[in-house]
Amino acid sequence: MGNNIIIRNMNKFYGKKQALFDIDLTIEQGMFGLLGRNGAGKTTLMKTLAALHRKKDGEVIICGIPVEKAKKIRSMTGYLPQDFSMYPNMRTDEALDYLGALSGIPSKERKQRVESLLKKVNLTEHRRKKVKELSGGMKRRLGIAQALLHDPKVIIVDEPTAGLDPEERIRFRNLLCEVAENRIVILSTHIVGDVESTCENIAIMDEGRILWKGTVRELLENARGHIYTANIEKQYMSQIKKEYIVTGMVTQADYTTVRLVSDAEPDLPNAVLTEPDLEGAYMYCLHSNGCNVKGGEE
Amino acid sequence: MTSGCLARMVSSDVKHNFLIHYLAAAAVLLITPVIFGLAELDRSMAALPLETMPPLMGLILLTPLFSPEQNEGILDTVRSKKTSRQLVIGMRVLCALAVLAILIAALGGYMKYNSCEVTLGMCAGAFAGAAALGALGFFSSALTDNVIVGYMVSVMYFFMDLFLKNKLGRFCLMSMSCNIKGSKPVLAVTAVVLIAAAMLFRRVFRNEQ
Amino acid sequence: MLFRLECKKILRSAAFLIYCVISVLFFATNYYSDCKGGVYLGEGTKIVEDHDLIMHGALNSLMGEYASNKYVCYPFGYYKAVHLKDKDQQKIEGYLKEMTGTDDKQFEELLASGEKYYLGMPDKPEYGFGDIKMTDGFSYDRFLEIMADTDDMLGGGSDYAPESLTALFSQVAMNEEELEDEYKTFIEDDKVTGGLARLFCDYNGIVLAILPVFVAAWLTANDRKRRMHELIYTRDISSAKLVLTRYAALVSTMFIPIVLEMIIALVQAVVEYKGESLDMTVMFTLPTFWLLPNLLFTTAAGVLITEVFSAPTAIFVQVIIWFKATINGSRMLSGQIGRFDLICRHNSPVDRSTFLMNQDNFIFSRIFWTVISLVLIALAVYAYDAKRGGRFNDIRLFGKDGLLRRKA
Repeated sequence: MGNNIIIRNMNKFYGKKQALFDIDLTIEQGMFGLLGRNGAGKTTLMKTLAALHRKKDGEVIICGIPVEKAKKIRSMTGYLPQDFSMYPNMRTDEALDYLGALSGIPSKERKQRVESLLKKVNLTEHRRKKVKELSGGMKRRLGIAQALLHDPKVIIVDEPTAGLDPEERIRFRNLLCEVAENRIVILSTHIVGDVESTCENIAIMDEGRILWKGTVRELLENARGHIYTANIEKQYMSQIKKEYIVTGMVTQADYTTVRLVSDAEPDLPNAVLTEPDLEGAYMYCLHSNGCNVKGGEE
Repeated sequence: MTSGCLARMVSSDVKHNFLIHYLAAAAVLLITPVIFGLAELDRSMAALPLETMPPLMGLILLTPLFSPEQNEGILDTVRSKKTSRQLVIGMRVLCALAVLAILIAALGGYMKYNSCEVTLGMCAGAFAGAAALGALGFFSSALTDNVIVGYMVSVMYFFMDLFLKNKLGRFCLMSMSCNIKGSKPVLAVTAVVLIAAAMLFRRVFRNEQ
Repeated sequence: MLFRLECKKILRSAAFLIYCVISVLFFATNYYSDCKGGVYLGEGTKIVEDHDLIMHGALNSLMGEYASNKYVCYPFGYYKAVHLKDKDQQKIEGYLKEMTGTDDKQFEELLASGEKYYLGMPDKPEYGFGDIKMTDGFSYDRFLEIMADTDDMLGGGSDYAPESLTALFSQVAMNEEELEDEYKTFIEDDKVTGGLARLFCDYNGIVLAILPVFVAAWLTANDRKRRMHELIYTRDISSAKLVLTRYAALVSTMFIPIVLEMIIALVQAVVEYKGESLDMTVMFTLPTFWLLPNLLFTTAAGVLITEVFSAPTAIFVQVIIWFKATINGSRMLSGQIGRFDLICRHNSPVDRSTFLMNQDNFIFSRIFWTVISLVLIALAVYAYDAKRGGRFNDIRLFGKDGLLRRKA
């Protein structure tokens, strides 16, 4: 039984509307990042892998098991949904215990796992709080804890850091990296920073299609020669935003240092070719695949 | 699936999601002697409380069984677990029916103790009617994903039944009081069909496996 | 604009669709089928305010129930047999002796003259009387006092409740002439549709005292269910405008099927009573005045209770209110309209005179429930505004610092 996820020519429809087009991916052990804009189809893909949605055709094999065998798939995948929530009046430890029971974990083992997971996600002192009393960050930590309960081989996290403060975000990423040892962790996000700090392999999606797949290094290499910095006077900023894809801005006293994506050298007096960062490389990838990118445009 | 897991699922579910409904159904049982005289009733008079209050209990117990997961976030979280959703809902249905049976048995027992002409068959008939009305609410809320619609359909059927009585034929809940024969088996079958249809609908069209 | 949008939202909802289906079904199976082929005008009985008749009927009934020690009551509209303790039985005996003017020996003889029969339980005989006479010159006021006290002892809902005495004990059959007069009144004074409109309102009043709560609860709970409430709370619109617009939209949309039914009822009347001179407007005016308060109240109660508590609570409360309201009218389906009746019953196309006798109560009840509805919706505005401003955030019923937590 392979320890990977194989997706071949997968299509998914919502009624007559096609949501996923010919998805082709192989995901190996470790952290895998799925980047894409809102509405790219990431959540649809995640839910299909978690056996919550049915594909129209194609092949999806998770650690040797076809996704049609939903029960087996669910016993080896942990899923943290985008809008994770639990019954509001359950205590935190009760909620984990209940979900552990749903995962078929025997009572004694469940108790131990709940204890250790609460400790791992730093929720021990909040264990007796009701779910509705938890902050957003605590809820997410509870979410990852429940995804780990049954020691799954595959963990699917859908936009886990949206709405978290920087400290919480860093903590969450570190936690994911920890759990990615000996597992497949798929991180679906539109926040490039999440992927940058945790994933070696990524795929980029847009409008239901895989635009690009490979390593982070390869994505950066792809964008080499297309990322520039320039100092622009403030009165020209709006014009620059219209003409170029601006991926970063640092405002100085009289001017703004911009980071922009361009196919060829920009027609700007002080534009300097720069080492690509992941955000710029991502934007370049979208742009070079014909996506309508509006980085920084007002 | 160990029995420990099943027990935990059921106890957690009941405690956090359905205890208030069980208590409400018990409250209906407790107000029955206030509304009806339950002493020294002959068969046809005894049928009236048995056919009026148990359907309300069935409605309260069965209609809201899908409502804890009306929040999509909760639904996705529990659906992604190994235990099939059908099993969870099935357990809820069985628990609700068990509570219903206990409450009806208590009512029948109390009436028997007070010299009413109540038989086991009448209690079984009351259970069939109660399960049927509850199943109607269960089915409606499954179809529309809206517990209010579930209550609406079942409450209004109950009241239409009060007014139309024998016009509903074998689907009349008050068949013992109105002397309509052969109605209770039909209601029992209707309950089973509606519950099964609701679960099948959720499985096929909402992918709740 | 907002009104139109809210109406659109309601019209497209499953709750409203089912409301329409149930409303039409009820109309079709009750009013429409009753009036098909011409409406049945009833048994031909009338109520006469004859004190002697009333006292005679009540006395014989009480005698029979005393002898059986089984007093049939309907406190909640359902049969309840009350058995009194010795002390209360003695009190009743005292009243019976007073009303018949008999001493102990004579009373025993009277008791022995009753007809014995068995109803239901084979070992429990019951007794019936028909010829017991009131003592001459017995005051009707004193009689009413005795009846009121008897009803109290029985826990209410008995045949001896003073408000039920006239309707229960002074119904007499109409003679041919009276029956003809009744028909003439139906045709000439009511112009057919006046009587039919009362019957229409009788049926629809029952439905409108319960059905609207579901649609009202659904709309009010919808924001919270869709997690939209915070988005709406932060908008410019005032709480009053929002709640009142939604209320108006609910009432307007839910009245649409009723108006359609009025039209169908009128068309049916025109067809069934071809050749008669019909009042073409009363089928709209009377139902609007009669039924709108039911709709207003049920909707307002649904909105308020859902806003403060939850949708299931609103449904539960309204079911209890509805139940109580139907029970109030269930003993006499026409002829009695109380000042505080939510559901005004008049289950007959004739009997115009009885309706007119109760006209003041009827008008009072319609105005009363309209005013109550406005009060409830004002409270709903307040509740919505309080929730919006976070004034309920710190309030808990249970748990630590809960309102209902017992102090040590």
